[in-house]
Amino acid sequence: MSGASVKVAVRVRPFNSRETSKESKCIIQMQGNSTSIINPKNPKEAPKSFSFDYSYWSHTSPEDPCFASQNRVYNDIGKEMLLHAFEGYNVCIFAYGQTGAGKSYTMMGKQEESQAGIIPQLCEELFEKINDNCNEEMSYSVEVSYMEIYCERVRDLLNPKNKGNLRVREHPLLGPYVEDLSKLAVTSYTDIADLMDAGNKARTVAATNMNETSSRSHAVFTIVFTQKKHDNETNLSTEKVSKISLVDLAGSERADSTGAKGTRLKEGANINKSLTTLGKVISALAEVVSFILHYKGSCVYSANILGDILLLSVKVVLLWPFM
Amino acid sequence: MANVPWAEVCEKFQAALALSRVELHKNPEKEPYKSKYSARALLEEVKALLGPAPEDEDERPEADDGPGADDHALGLPAEVVEPEGPVGQLAVRLAVIEFHLGVNHIDTEELSAGEEHLVKCLRLLRRYRLSHDCISLCIQAQNNLGILWSEREEIETAQAYLESSEALYNQYMKEVGSPPLEPTECFLPEEEKLTEQERSKRFEKVYTHNLYYLAQVYQHLEMFEKAAHYCHSTLKRQLEHNAYHPIEWAINAATLSQFYINKLCFMEARHCLSAANVIFGQTGKISATEDSPEAEGEVPELYHQRKGEIARCWIKYCLTLMQNAQLSMQDNIGELDLDKQSELRALRKKELDEEESIRKKAVQFGTGELCDAISAVEEKVSYLRPLDFEEARELFLLGQHYVFEAKEFFQIDGYVTDHIEIVQDHSALFKVLAFFETDMERRCKMHKRRIAMLEPLTVDLNPQYYLLVNRQIQFEIAHAYYDMMDLKVAIADRLRDPDSHIVKKINNLNKSALKYYQLFLDSLRDPNKVFPEHIGEDVLRPAMLAKFRVARLYGKIITADPKKELENLATSLEHYKFIVDYCEKHPEAAQEIEAELELSKEMVSLLPTKMERFRTKMALT
Repeated sequence: MSGASVKVAVRVRPFNSRETSKESKCIIQMQGNSTSIINPKNPKEAPKSFSFDYSYWSHTSPEDPCFASQNRVYNDIGKEMLLHAFEGYNVCIFAYGQTGAGKSYTMMGKQEESQAGIIPQLCEELFEKINDNCNEEMSYSVEVSYMEIYCERVRDLLNPKNKGNLRVREHPLLGPYVEDLSKLAVTSYTDIADLMDAGNKARTVAATNMNETSSRSHAVFTIVFTQKKHDNETNLSTEKVSKISLVDLAGSERADSTGAKGTRLKEGANINKSLTTLGKVISALAEVVSFILHYKGSCVYSANILGDILLLSVKVVLLWPFM
Repeated sequence: MANVPWAEVCEKFQAALALSRVELHKNPEKEPYKSKYSARALLEEVKALLGPAPEDEDERPEADDGPGADDHALGLPAEVVEPEGPVGQLAVRLAVIEFHLGVNHIDTEELSAGEEHLVKCLRLLRRYRLSHDCISLCIQAQNNLGILWSEREEIETAQAYLESSEALYNQYMKEVGSPPLEPTECFLPEEEKLTEQERSKRFEKVYTHNLYYLAQVYQHLEMFEKAAHYCHSTLKRQLEHNAYHPIEWAINAATLSQFYINKLCFMEARHCLSAANVIFGQTGKISATEDSPEAEGEVPELYHQRKGEIARCWIKYCLTLMQNAQLSMQDNIGELDLDKQSELRALRKKELDEEESIRKKAVQFGTGELCDAISAVEEKVSYLRPLDFEEARELFLLGQHYVFEAKEFFQIDGYVTDHIEIVQDHSALFKVLAFFETDMERRCKMHKRRIAMLEPLTVDLNPQYYLLVNRQIQFEIAHAYYDMMDLKVAIADRLRDPDSHIVKKINNLNKSALKYYQLFLDSLRDPNKVFPEHIGEDVLRPAMLAKFRVARLYGKIITADPKKELENLATSLEHYKFIVDYCEKHPEAAQEIEAELELSKEMVSLLPTKMERFRTKMALT
């Protein structure tokens, strides 16, 4: 994966009311950029330590000098991403963790004072910079798209009425792209926030089929930032396009293998009842992977898209909020 | 039975069935199982109205009703006993209710309750399992239990239930045979009961599903041949009972052929592919059944896509068959070994003699007209390994035909990866055909065709997105030039007076091969153009091979200029040294290129002496 630099950040959130009422113990400790975990079953054992690029201690409150605020996270991660975007590079941020771990808080945050997450802060600064521009040779445009990937299906969250499953195509020069994915122009952070809201609502609706849960799908929000420079002397224009990808990876819930109620993985040794899945069974026997990709409808497509976002990003940040 | 008219009981049951079939998303968002619970309530009411279960003389405690604990429960019954009189009738009716309650609980994710009901159902039917009235219900209950246990990841238990169903079906067909009652019929008035034809259709569908479930079980148990056999049987039955959608069936058969190709069972593969062609051709003539998943509007695009995919399956057939032949006939430098060829020719007669007996054992699709249509396609394609150029050429031409067909859909704009794989297969077809070609000039032309189809791809593709594919193509082009160069050298060796023209040609080919190997090796460098200290394992062997061939190529540049010759030898030595040094530091690399490493070590010891002699000779003149 030449050219991309990857940074990993972990963050630990405060206890919620349920955890507090159960008098839960915090088994995470952080020092500098390393995080250590105590074994709750054997507290005397030496804690296991891991080094990350950033270890954000957000378990306590702002009064604690070690506390990592939303601002701090943005300053470390978001500012640099924006800088790279202005330079014309693609950047990408993946948020990974169980439902309830705090991904949304880190990525989106809350509307209250100084609780805005990375995305709103990044967008605010983006538009600030655009609006502050005095150079008349420069012009900017910002477009967004929002899609959901769930195994074999890609859905356009900004146009959920498009019932069709969007196809992933490949162009020899432009690489893989999602056909017919809406790209909407925006001029302020409010526009972006509204679209994200609408998109998020579209995600929940998709999960009424009991075999799907929205926590198993990935959501990719992309900001396409175009900077055009018009040289008045030569009357030529040059363009720099960068993509800012914000990926909310599927919740990493573990399934109860006894098949009890709750989140349940449908993969595994289950027998499929319907003959419509005969093709999948035969494909698996034939071990044909790259070949009958379309037919098999495997998750390789999602891996493709995600992989390509990764490949093309100069800076990738992985956020891993801890419970 | 309580004083409720029978008609009312039936109505309740039908209402319950209707509710069971309501699709989950039609329920309120927060109550997806509402219709199921309502159905359940109605079923419980019917159960209550039917009254208590008849006394079972062989009453055994519930614990013994698992499949493992009691061998008799799943074993084949000794005789056919029809349920008779009010006791029998009651048992059957209750069994139907227990069955539907079981399925209902499973649908609402209550596996334990589901299991209880299904087991009760089987217990009620214990004596009547082979009967005309109960066989279908029994098999369906066992199938559902099989599926249930698979969800608990107890595959062997699932297997036991499903194999029992299979055995029951076979025994019933042997001893009774008449189309059995469809379970829900006992709650239907006389005039609404099903026809024999309809009963047969439904029963056969149940068995087809049974085979399908077994295919999946065998797959999970990694009994792949058996799984393929059962998939094959499922496909066969779909055809026999007209329960298929042509496009879907065809692609399934074509995919199955790939399994057989991987196992080198070319006769079976050919049969699947031929059937795929015939059935695919039926598209448009047969209306979709309830088993077809595709939406209306998608059909045209899907048609072309599947057509392309089936074509690709054919390409793999032709290619693998030819490559398999090459493998069995090549010597240690990859050329045709005449002795091996003779051996295989002698074997051919035996293969042809055995053909009939193999064919009889294989699962055949279709009867009558369909069978003839499939045979017509089969007759045009050989399933035997080609032994000479003529036979190889036939397969080549067929493969090439399908290359063109596949490219119609998988165009580069839209399907880059697929398109490239097809072109790579086309190049491979040429490469393997060249193996059979005896004339060296003609072989050269084949490699030239390969280069012509691969070179444009390196220009058209964005190297950032298609890094892996680009590397593969560069490597293949380099190797094609390399082979061409060797051929030209062999041709030149045979001429009495090799002229400057051929020398120039040889050097040009050498240069081109070097160019592409260099491009390939450069693609491994990091953004600062530094060659990696440690080469990744996925590119290790090709990287080492590339270095080796570059070394050899430099040693083969023909020049009259002694200074240049010395330079080339020095560069050659450098590359051989790299290989030896790298393999010393990284023992895993040594394992990847044993033969080339040996040769490199030799060259490292021989070349310096040769170069020294050259230098002294130069000094003297």
